[in-house]
Amino acid sequence: MRKLTLTLCLMLFSQFSWGVEIITHRSVSVNTLSLASARSIFGMRQVKWPDNGRIQVFVLADTHPTHIALCKERLNLFPYQLRQSWDRLVYAGMAQAPIEVANEEELVNRVAATSGAIGYVKKVKPNDSIKIITIN
Amino acid sequence: MIRSRSSRLIEPFAALCAFLSAFSVQAQELGHGVQAHGFIDQSLVHTSDNNVGGESDDSLTSELREMGANLSWRPNPDWLVSGQVLARWAGEADRGKLRLDYGFVDRTLIATGDSQMGLRLGKIKNPYGFYNTTRDVAHTRPGIIMPQSVYPDQMRNFFLAAPGFSLYGNSENDHGNISWQISALRPEVDDPSLEYVFLIGDRAGRFDGKNSWLSQFMFDMDGRWRMGLSLGEMKMGYKPSAFGDIEIAGNHRLPTWVLSLEHNTEDWSFTAEYGQTKVDASGYRIFNTNHTTEAMYAQATRRIANGWQGYLRYDVLYFDKDDRDGAGFSARLRLPAYSRFAKDWVLGVRRDIDSLALSAELHSVDGTAWLAQSDNPTAGLVRRWDMLLLQAAWRF
Repeated sequence: MRKLTLTLCLMLFSQFSWGVEIITHRSVSVNTLSLASARSIFGMRQVKWPDNGRIQVFVLADTHPTHIALCKERLNLFPYQLRQSWDRLVYAGMAQAPIEVANEEELVNRVAATSGAIGYVKKVKPNDSIKIITIN
Repeated sequence: MIRSRSSRLIEPFAALCAFLSAFSVQAQELGHGVQAHGFIDQSLVHTSDNNVGGESDDSLTSELREMGANLSWRPNPDWLVSGQVLARWAGEADRGKLRLDYGFVDRTLIATGDSQMGLRLGKIKNPYGFYNTTRDVAHTRPGIIMPQSVYPDQMRNFFLAAPGFSLYGNSENDHGNISWQISALRPEVDDPSLEYVFLIGDRAGRFDGKNSWLSQFMFDMDGRWRMGLSLGEMKMGYKPSAFGDIEIAGNHRLPTWVLSLEHNTEDWSFTAEYGQTKVDASGYRIFNTNHTTEAMYAQATRRIANGWQGYLRYDVLYFDKDDRDGAGFSARLRLPAYSRFAKDWVLGVRRDIDSLALSAELHSVDGTAWLAQSDNPTAGLVRRWDMLLLQAAWRF
């Protein structure tokens, strides 16, 4: 019993320690992503959803704490690695870059307004008209 | 009307400046699946001896500069059209001529979630080692100048990009990523530097690219380790001039490979690459050869707080792995043995401030193998020399 409680506490703790939630436009039919898909999408290599719709990635600046949390806690990468892999693709013409926005409020608004959009925020507010995606 | 050299330099510079400034504010997003990006950098060079990027010997030169701008259009998820123009200045070797860096159509053939496969057609950047495809973008380089062993500036145009087609694929799983590209191409060989490298001087005739191929396989393990193999064979033929050419028609075949390895932690990156290129020249009167160049470097990069990083690199190039000290070459052609190798210690520091990167780099070099011969008369070369480079780079 103590072991179960400890496990539950750890799960809860790890749940709360995640400083970032991955969000999409409401029309996106996906509810969960594998780590591989999440890396592929934020790495700008996967550009369409399973229903063939276009994926539009929105990000914050490399130094933004929520961006750092996305890289380290969700994608298991360091922010500099994501930046290097974008640059390698973008300046060789092999992919397009994600759209960088100034702050989390703008990011939520852009994701809510753009079909096929994906992004992330520290904490979703109850009235945000977006969908939360989990990574498993 | 004869135009001055400066006006020839300024025209493409001004055109690109206009392009860069037009898109620089909230640059990349132009709507309808169109993006624009660009970059510009300017370096200052001082050398104790020999010239790099103009007359740097005991002086300061600013003739080391790059700028480029690209447009890409993704009309739907399966198609991508990309193009980039580039102007580069590097002493006498490169005078800022505006050129198409790449321009191609990319069609995704298969996309099943975590795996993609596609075809590119047009002028395509050649994947070769970790850095070749974006070697002109200062932000993506491991230092102010590329490690000259694996990425010699004198061979830059030969390996950089070429018309052809390539098949590529990418496959992701929870532990990493495998990507590959196989290209059939015809190398661009109109660069006079190539004649210096392969025919020991600027010759009256010209090289023509022949059907060649290049491939690359890259494994990324959890972002912590990256391993790559680049493999291919480049070919060209020499067409002598009808008048006053000392050489006759011949062929160059260059089978090449590079192994790449990188380990990344939050604060450190350790990178090493090792490659060999066989130079097989036949049919010539004088410049037939069959030797193998050997190139390697290792670099440690330490990321410090606030966008600062420092790096240390050791970079070695031997033109002939069976004559590393150049003694055989020197005995045969009565040219300096030290023009056949270069061992370069590099210490550098870089600070990134948003889209701006400021760098300083110190080199201590033994040998002159990778110096641009158009900037350095062979008679005046000095074996041991030092270099200080400063660079400001901006991109969007």
